[in-house]
Amino acid sequence: MKDLLDFLIEVGKLKGKKRRGWLIHGIKDAETTSEHIFHLAILVWVLGKNRKLNLEKVIKMALIHDLCEVYSPDLTSYDAAAIKEKGRVTINDVLTIKPITGRPTTNQRKKMEKVKQILEKRAMKKILSKLSPNLKKEINDLWLDYENGITAEGRFVKQADRIINLLQGLEYWKKYGRIKHGLWVRRIKEVIDDPVLLDFVKVVENKFCKKCKH
Amino acid sequence: MIEEKKFYLTKEGLERIKKEYKTLRELKLAKTKGESPKVLHSEDLNPEYLAFQEDINFLESRIIELENIIKNAELIKLPRKEKQNIVDLGATVLVETDGQADEFTLVGSLEANPSIGKISNESPVGSALLGRKVGDAVVVSSPIQTTYKIKKVKYHLS
Repeated sequence: MKDLLDFLIEVGKLKGKKRRGWLIHGIKDAETTSEHIFHLAILVWVLGKNRKLNLEKVIKMALIHDLCEVYSPDLTSYDAAAIKEKGRVTINDVLTIKPITGRPTTNQRKKMEKVKQILEKRAMKKILSKLSPNLKKEINDLWLDYENGITAEGRFVKQADRIINLLQGLEYWKKYGRIKHGLWVRRIKEVIDDPVLLDFVKVVENKFCKKCKH
Repeated sequence: MIEEKKFYLTKEGLERIKKEYKTLRELKLAKTKGESPKVLHSEDLNPEYLAFQEDINFLESRIIELENIIKNAELIKLPRKEKQNIVDLGATVLVETDGQADEFTLVGSLEANPSIGKISNESPVGSALLGRKVGDAVVVSSPIQTTYKIKKVKYHLS
């Protein structure tokens, strides 16, 4: 029980961790990681209902998908956009990068992904280290499924995560006007292929982007 | 949970699925061969039994999912030489969008990973690129219009 308490205290730190993507845009009351997790858990629940999906697994996956951020940075595509196109990129390069609010190339994304995976795996191992083997395995399996889109549930939650980010980004754009919303709306068309989530994207766009400039 | 549809996979992707299927079946067999934990521990439900049952349930559902994928798998093949300037599944497409060069590889939903440039043929951009050729300007709209100018189409399929 003591180990569970320690785990919960560590996980609780996500309540105060403001998300990097919003801080880059100078959003003052930026959402924290745990607020993002809460929002995603609700989204996957309501949109995953009546689908051929294991809803318990889907909700658990949403709850743990960013646990690694207790110890790892939540690197964004703006960090990827600042990565050099040629040559090797080290962990230190990524950790000291100055983000650019633009669209990264696939090559930059690949380089970022490599470093991100190392940092997140390390962080996940640390956060789960004291848990019982069963719980450790369950959380780690769910996380790997989410990260790699292994099952239908993993792919659904991964895509839903992008949509909840889009929704938050558009809400901030409406409030502060600082978000490069056009990039987000364009990018979502490359990453979502789930028919229900695509329908939902249309609803989000219709609400926020009727007057968006092309 | 079964998705009844065709699954487009590269040769490597299908091999990976078959390997996972084989491994999970062996694992399930090994787990169920031995003595399973007792249901009750004193008067309470035995946590070891619950964990064991959860493992078996997970294995079974994943095995069923993999069986369905293998049954409905459609291998992505290299198109004929005269059609290799046309975007099809498995193509790596060099595009220009927002004044910037980029590259996508079109794959089936199971192998999609947009973080490394592998986009699904069922995504709006993936489906709009399919069937188009070098020189085409593909427009993906609603509500923000994006144009992808196709610069080059390559195939690296084995």
